[in-house]
Amino acid sequence: MMHDDFDNGEVRPILQAAEAEAPVHISSRLQSRIFSKLIQLEQEQGALRVLSESRAAGERLCIFETVVAALPSDDLQSRNPCAVCHARILGERVEQAPIFWPGCPYAKFCGH
Amino acid sequence: MSRFRTKYPPRPLRFLHCPTGGKEARSRHTGKANPLTPSISRIHDADLELAAAVLKRDRKATARLIELHADAVHRYVWRRLTPKVDLVDDIVQDVFVAAWRGLPGYSGEASLQTWLVSIARNKVEDYYRRTLAAPLESLEQDEDAPLLASSVNLDANLEQSRQEERAAKILSGIPYEYATALRWRYWEGRTAREMAAATGRTEKAVERLLARARAKFKSRWEETA
Repeated sequence: MMHDDFDNGEVRPILQAAEAEAPVHISSRLQSRIFSKLIQLEQEQGALRVLSESRAAGERLCIFETVVAALPSDDLQSRNPCAVCHARILGERVEQAPIFWPGCPYAKFCGH
Repeated sequence: MSRFRTKYPPRPLRFLHCPTGGKEARSRHTGKANPLTPSISRIHDADLELAAAVLKRDRKATARLIELHADAVHRYVWRRLTPKVDLVDDIVQDVFVAAWRGLPGYSGEASLQTWLVSIARNKVEDYYRRTLAAPLESLEQDEDAPLLASSVNLDANLEQSRQEERAAKILSGIPYEYATALRWRYWEGRTAREMAAATGRTEKAVERLLARARAKFKSRWEETA
């Protein structure tokens, strides 16, 4: 029988309400991996926004980005220092990694 | 409605919906005076600004996009895929990659979060479609099972949360294809016809599958009473 009392019965609303409890927060590792992936895609599409522009737009830079932002060339400023940073490696692999650089996105994902 | 293309007809989300139906964003887009409250308008302005910054390949804005919205996307996908939670991470990442690719089409008519969750919904439904389009060999033993168990006699006094917990447990315990069919039908609100069109099965086959899934659910429900 295709049509039974299920749809109009008591079980349907219970089933609909029985959405499993999900963890409140996504893991910091997954956020880090997604961020790295998106930056990789952005780099494939073209140069990243120069860091001095990001800073001028009100963004906070980490200590390494601050150094890169001081470089005179836009080409250099478009590079991604995270690619060679230990914070990225830690962030992608260790949950709540002990990264405490102010302005570092991986540290932010870890809640620091 | 965002211009993000989807395979499925749009449906209202059961949560995280845009509180104003995106009217303030539309008016902003058309340049007409915004009749809605400034506070709501500012929310969408912030979303549009964030989207614009990400489109400029601003790494800090990209980080903020994830930081602000990853929890909501993750929660949605996790709920829809339980107990196959091992797939959640990949699908959440796929959602953000798809969103990044589709960001030029984000018009601000819905909040970024609503827009992202609608992409997540499509990804989840793609997964449901793949699950139910595949041969359902593990269910063959159920072919001869009665489609309806005896009537469900729920204890009316049973606390609602207990019932929900019990239902969630049963969903985790019945064959995954059944649980997927039930979630797709009752959580996402798809009709058997829509499910049939998405999976390449006949409507009758989907109805049979749903009937068996319901019968299995009911029998487990009674067993655990």
